[in-house]
Amino acid sequence: MKQAMYGLILFIFLILPPVATFLESIMIIHMHMQMPLLVFSGFLIARFFQIRFPQFFKNWNDNGIPGMLLFLIIWLYWMIPKAMDDALTLQFVEIFKFFSLTFLAGVPLRDSWGKLGSKAKSIVYVFFTLKFIIMGYLYIGIESQICNNYLIIEQRTLGWGSLAFAACFILYGFYWVFTDQSEFKTT
Amino acid sequence: MEQTLRETIRNNPKKILGVNPNDAKVSLSYLTVAFVSLLIGGILGMLQGLERAGLIQLPSWLNYYQVLTAHGLLLLVVFTATFTIGYQYANLSHSFGGLLSKVRKLAWIGFALMLIGVVMVTVMIVLNEASVLYTFYPPLAAHPIFYIGLVFVVLGIWACCFGVFINYRYWRKNHPGQTTPILAFFAMGVFILWFFASIGVTIEVFTLIPWSMGLVETTNVMVGRTLFWWFGHTLVNIWYLVATSAWYVIVPKIIGGRHFSEKLIRLVIILLVILNIPGGFHHQIVDPGISQSVKFLHVFMSLSIAVPSLMTAFAMFFVLERTGRKLGGKGLLGWLKKLPWGDVRFLAPMIAMISFIPGGAGGIVNTSNQLNQVIHNTMWVVGHFHITVGVSVVLTFFGICYWLIPYLSKRQLTPKMNKIGVIQTYVWTVGMALMAGSMHIVGLLGDPRRTSDTTYGGHEIAVSWIPYEMVFAIGATLLLIGVIIQVYAVFNMMFFAPKGHTEFPVAEPEDDATPAPLWTERWGLWIVLLIAVISMAYVVPIVDMILNAPPGSPPIRTW
Ligand code: HEM
Ligand SMILES: [Cu+2]
Repeated sequence: MKQAMYGLILFIFLILPPVATFLESIMIIHMHMQMPLLVFSGFLIARFFQIRFPQFFKNWNDNGIPGMLLFLIIWLYWMIPKAMDDALTLQFVEIFKFFSLTFLAGVPLRDSWGKLGSKAKSIVYVFFTLKFIIMGYLYIGIESQICNNYLIIEQRTLGWGSLAFAACFILYGFYWVFTDQSEFKTT
Repeated sequence: MEQTLRETIRNNPKKILGVNPNDAKVSLSYLTVAFVSLLIGGILGMLQGLERAGLIQLPSWLNYYQVLTAHGLLLLVVFTATFTIGYQYANLSHSFGGLLSKVRKLAWIGFALMLIGVVMVTVMIVLNEASVLYTFYPPLAAHPIFYIGLVFVVLGIWACCFGVFINYRYWRKNHPGQTTPILAFFAMGVFILWFFASIGVTIEVFTLIPWSMGLVETTNVMVGRTLFWWFGHTLVNIWYLVATSAWYVIVPKIIGGRHFSEKLIRLVIILLVILNIPGGFHHQIVDPGISQSVKFLHVFMSLSIAVPSLMTAFAMFFVLERTGRKLGGKGLLGWLKKLPWGDVRFLAPMIAMISFIPGGAGGIVNTSNQLNQVIHNTMWVVGHFHITVGVSVVLTFFGICYWLIPYLSKRQLTPKMNKIGVIQTYVWTVGMALMAGSMHIVGLLGDPRRTSDTTYGGHEIAVSWIPYEMVFAIGATLLLIGVIIQVYAVFNMMFFAPKGHTEFPVAEPEDDATPAPLWTERWGLWIVLLIAVISMAYVVPIVDMILNAPPGSPPIRTW
């Protein structure tokens, strides 16, 4: 429950207008920091819902797949340049962004991840790695401006940032595969 | 006898573990280099103080900027790096009951590489081919050999990093389900930071070598500065982590107490490792070409370091008060009196910790945009880092010497040597208080740093600085006396003190403490987070600096 409280505080902090405006003023921070942080706040808040409505999650997300799909759909939607533009220009889209990333992406992510088998987990992991690589490639390569609100240079920066994230994912993947996880179990 | 020995091994292995004699040689060699550098650097420091005050005029074959470059590099890089390695390797050897022999070999290789590098760098400075100051970023250009020497220094540090990583892996593999001893955990944090800090500066130096040779015509100054501060800022936190290892683990034992919750200590280490590198931009608040919002983000990042710092402060005062009360201290502050003020092993790090209060406050001033405009490149900055590194860090290092060196050389800390240490600590404290205090004030009045002569034709504002500069000179003289006492003490304890046994003071947890959680050992995860944080922070400005680059700069020699 303490966790859910921290999540709520983080969420409120992130939607404060000056904080939101600041984070959205840089494209890469908008996509790679504000959005993941919103998901993370939902991830923490999820504890509250899991404890209050265990039956709901059991009925609708027993094996974790529906929740994961919902998370993926919401997340991918916000990767669309037009969606980011809309969030900056239309108030209700902005509100929808805060709500959807936190409660429709962060919450199901928390509930699903633990339920997924290791194969499904690996698929999601590889998918995200590839997504970062492809996005990096596209954003660096594209010659025209794809967001009304951001300059081409910001687009390129986002591309390099995505590649950096892909590198982190790959590195962590190797670490995960090649370390003996039993080392971390108390004997 | 047999039985009891086995029992000690089982119940209290730390009692019998010790630094292996071969490992002691490694540490003592590094410490020797450290204190030779301190001596030379200290003499140069005093010359600077006297020249600033107008009391002496350095000869043309040894000019102020040569001296300043050597002072900065010898103290800031060579002294702190070699001390850190000597001390951390001793900690590692003590915690693990000896280093692996290949790790010891790596430490010796590192020693040789660093020595070669330092000699190349020093020779170039002495020849007046490298008066580029310790920051050595472009457009000032040194002789290529200077940069090549720096590469050797970095390679030496990497050898030591890999040594630590290998030994840690080996230990973890053979102790599944156990957490590493806390001092070894600190060593991991320290050397991971060393490794990632030096990546930035290595890239910088590799671009500068062809540039200084004339193979490429120009270099991107902004990128060079950014890569330098990636390293320079992280170096600061490496010292800080090294010093806190003594504050958290050594000091409580010396005062007869227990250390604070190990979980919190580990959390502080992890936070420092992950959060710190992006703070580098607070050294570039006045630089053009970095957007306001990016600067703001980095101010936020550097202030986030205040979180683990404040956690440390509270934890330390908690331990001090608890121990003082256990020793019978009464009332609001009575516990303070019970602490062993006459023991240099406590006194020196204690003053170091206290000086972190003004030091940290000054740091918050420096990192705030508006205030930075006032103090940037004035003597305030020099005052600031003489308080932080010159007292908080260096006095902690000095305090460590009084048990570490006799321990390593199998000698004793005699009461007489303890007294010398106490005197040294006071001389150093008074000297730094005078020098750094007056530097802070005169900086606010506008006195520039890195300038040999600040009389400006007798302008009245410049004249108003002179009394403060006289105080530098007094402080600098006291400090040189302090350096000489310290160097004497170090070599005396290394070679001449009476033979005997000295304790390696490692505090134990409280009896009812919960064991540290194993997830803290996931260094792979911390490293990935560290890289993610670096890329978030550096991608924006560096892409901007490269894609929107102004014309590059040719090598410039101002001397
Ligand atoms: C004997 C003790 C010391 C004295 C008398 C001393 C004195 C000075 C003086 C007068 C300056 C010149 C500032 C300027 O013109 O801008 C200076 C700079 C500096 N000192 Fe010290 N210092 C001492 C110890 C240390 C220690 C222990 C360290 C670090 C471990 C240190 C690091 C530096 C650095 C990094 C600079 C700046 C160089 C630059 O701006 O390029 N000093 N010191
Ligand atoms: Cu810094």
